[in-house]
Amino acid sequence: MSRRTRWAVLAVGAVFGFLLTASGFGDYETIHRGLLLQDGYIYLTMGSAVGTAFAGIALLRRRGRTASGAPLRLPRQRAERRHVYGGAVFGLGFGVGATCPGITVAMTTTGGLYGLVVLVGLLGGLRLRGWVEQRAARSLSTEPMLPAAQPVVSARRLSDVVPE
Amino acid sequence: MCARCEEAPVLGWIDGQLPWWVIGPGVGLCVVALYGLADARLGVSGAWLATIARAEGWQPEPWRRSFLLALVVGSLGAALLGPPVTVHGYGRLSELLPPVLLVPVLLAVGLALGYGARWAGGCTSGHGLSGCAVASPDSLVTTATFFSVAVLVTLALHALTGGAL
Repeated sequence: MSRRTRWAVLAVGAVFGFLLTASGFGDYETIHRGLLLQDGYIYLTMGSAVGTAFAGIALLRRRGRTASGAPLRLPRQRAERRHVYGGAVFGLGFGVGATCPGITVAMTTTGGLYGLVVLVGLLGGLRLRGWVEQRAARSLSTEPMLPAAQPVVSARRLSDVVPE
Repeated sequence: MCARCEEAPVLGWIDGQLPWWVIGPGVGLCVVALYGLADARLGVSGAWLATIARAEGWQPEPWRRSFLLALVVGSLGAALLGPPVTVHGYGRLSELLPPVLLVPVLLAVGLALGYGARWAGGCTSGHGLSGCAVASPDSLVTTATFFSVAVLVTLALHALTGGAL
């Protein structure tokens, strides 16, 4: 990524942070009333954001290349069970706290200092999920489902080095 | 309308809540820009994840952490230009719960957000905005799930607390 692109990405981040905050989403009431279906602001905002992005991406597709000239792939992924499970757990936090990872920043910078508590929890949650995944991967590799040849080979090696 | 706009007279350069037709398309253009620049989904949980990458022993895309820093700077900018900033609680949730209960509840909220976002591979921005804008199946499923669960949880809390929440 060229230096110019890197700066452009930073500018996008700053504008994004500015807009998230100027939306008033950092106020508990904004999202809470949306989720109570009493106010349409969050849905109109998200809907018009996705709509605008959809149209803009159509133009990008026509160009077919990123700013650095690489082919544009626009990564898409198939839906798996983890998206339902993860989405449900995320929705629980979203519902109770009426906030999300980006909005919590806006909440904190506008004086909602309890946002810092949510951020601590957020980092803990990211870490915890990583730990669970690592643990699952390790326990899988010690399952007796491995090809039968492997334990035999390692046993022979073991007997070579470990004196009886 | 946000409660803050009604309580405090607007003294800053911008309103506490700009109309949805400014924020929505603006955010949409940010999503397009990041696809055009890095061919990547604009995602805030991914940016937070990059801050713990070193502790976990892996290397994130180099721009993820600086993106988060820029986001914080932009957010501070909006806070400075907006209505006067006052330290406040957590809306109706802090009216209902004393701090000794509110803090653990908010830690649990954060934990659910982080755990769920990593499990699903994204949050409101990565899936809800960026992934949905390219009609990626994983994002459509995640977004539909978390919005449905959040609405159900909120309506349930509203009923259980007799309308206090």
